[in-house]
Amino acid sequence: MLTWRGHLLAYLVAALAMVYLSYLLPGWLPGDFVTAMYADSHVALGDDQEAALRERLEAGAGFGAYLLALGTLDWGTSYALRAPVSELILEALPWTLLLMGTAHVLATVLGFIAGVEAAWRRGGRVERAGVSGMTVLQGVPEIGTGVLLLMVFAYHLGWLPAGGGATLYVEYGFAEQVLDVLRHLALPLATLLLAWFPGNFLLARASMVLVLGQSFLDTARAKGLPPARVRYAHAARNVLLPMATRFGLRFAFMVTGALVVETIFSYPGLGTLLFNAIGARDLPLIQGIVLFSALAVLGVNLLLEGVYGRLDPRVRLHGRAL
Amino acid sequence: MDARFDPHAGLWRRLLADPWFVIGASLAAVLALLILLSPWLSLHDPHDMSHVPFAPPSGSHWLGVNDGGMDMFAELLAGLRNTLAFGLITGTAGLALGILVGLTSAWFRGWADQILMRLADLLLAIPAVMILILLAAFYRPSPWVLALVLALLAWPTSARLIRSQALGLRNQPHIAAARQMGGSNAYVIGRHMMPELFPLYLIAFAAKVRMAVFMEASLSFLGLFDPTRKSLGRTISDALPFYYLDIWWYWMLPPILLLTLLIMAFTFLAVSLERFFDPRLRAAWAG
Repeated sequence: MLTWRGHLLAYLVAALAMVYLSYLLPGWLPGDFVTAMYADSHVALGDDQEAALRERLEAGAGFGAYLLALGTLDWGTSYALRAPVSELILEALPWTLLLMGTAHVLATVLGFIAGVEAAWRRGGRVERAGVSGMTVLQGVPEIGTGVLLLMVFAYHLGWLPAGGGATLYVEYGFAEQVLDVLRHLALPLATLLLAWFPGNFLLARASMVLVLGQSFLDTARAKGLPPARVRYAHAARNVLLPMATRFGLRFAFMVTGALVVETIFSYPGLGTLLFNAIGARDLPLIQGIVLFSALAVLGVNLLLEGVYGRLDPRVRLHGRAL
Repeated sequence: MDARFDPHAGLWRRLLADPWFVIGASLAAVLALLILLSPWLSLHDPHDMSHVPFAPPSGSHWLGVNDGGMDMFAELLAGLRNTLAFGLITGTAGLALGILVGLTSAWFRGWADQILMRLADLLLAIPAVMILILLAAFYRPSPWVLALVLALLAWPTSARLIRSQALGLRNQPHIAAARQMGGSNAYVIGRHMMPELFPLYLIAFAAKVRMAVFMEASLSFLGLFDPTRKSLGRTISDALPFYYLDIWWYWMLPPILLLTLLIMAFTFLAVSLERFFDPRLRAAWAG
């Protein structure tokens, strides 16, 4: 289908389309930009603020100036929080990366290993139960698991904190601080793991089962290779590509799920920032977070296209194999 | 022999022997019944705010009353209906677009195929949720507009699935015979290609509805719809600030349970149909 250069072009066009949409949308609202952005929000602009804003907007009209402003990290100002949008995003980003990154790595690695092992033992009682259990779990949305974990572990048992990313206003040593962050991470992380692990497990198992009947495995076995080497170095390699492809297709939905989970646990990442911005109708901040996340999704997908080529030489030569 | 793997058994008999299909279909049927019977089941108008706030469940309010003085059971049924309606609209519109694009691409090939598939690549790369959030925050459109926008953004996955199978079907002898007979493009597509790919539509529809229900729940949970509109996600987010009160079993749990059952129903249907019709996965299932 598409070559690497074609993909790069497609993603650039998609990114430009997103930026253009975010540039265009406020202009379609009734009234001029300033009334449109601020009339409905829970903040009132002072006369001097309004004049300054108008002056800035008139100086920076046009799509080219908008692009330039984005490039120089001038993403506008959140009037509800009285801070530059880019600053707020960069402040929240590490928390989201910590949560989503850890959850994704764990869900992928555990799902891969569990799926490969399950396929190896297919037909057994444990494998059947695993497949059924994971299929059921695939039907449970993040909202459900998140709220239930919150009720059980934070409220009824009181083992873990109900919200936040770290305990505020306390002096901790380094080890205690790490432990504190991990304790706050536990519940949102568990929610995302429960949401993301089943799909990875089921896909890894199904792809592995397709590989198992092939004759190159008989060759590997006949060479006298140890079973673990046959299983992972020869068979399970072929599971990596479908898993990477699935990640590319699922990533946008994972972001949606992470937004919700962060909100449930008021985790101080982009999701909670967005939730609060929506509540206050803080349009510049909403616009900034949405644009930033969309560009991040596009960037990750573009990186993945490069990874496909490394995982499967067929992709490198002929475009995508699937 | 197990009816699931008997190639001579009818399609329905084979599907009905699959527990995932039976559970998914029964769940969907029960939920549909609940919605259809809701005018007789709920004693109150979901928007009526005249009840005592925070009243626990009673004979008149089966699931109690929320902080705004609205009957929870009525709210739950209205939310279920709205959430499912959003999913069905996106599913239907997205599937129709997917069939249209997929068949057009596969049948005409050439430049039409090129343009449509490049457009599909572009849309697959753009995260739909971000566009929905932006639109909802700026214009506060009606949920139906958002459902249709989601369909406009979500057709590429089904279009690709349908296109890849239609390309294979296109080279079958009976299609060649139909063209030889003088059948027009519209005739061959309408009478042969479209009906023969029917199972794929079921897979695509179930998967799309599942995705759209998840989206609707997430967006309404984040507060992007009109706050007076009932939705399962909204009910959960309304209950969350009161989690320390003893309300969880009649206020928090029922919407979570309904949303989970709804998503589960379509997940099971999609999983079961995929195992039957997707040739790549069939081997995995039989193995």
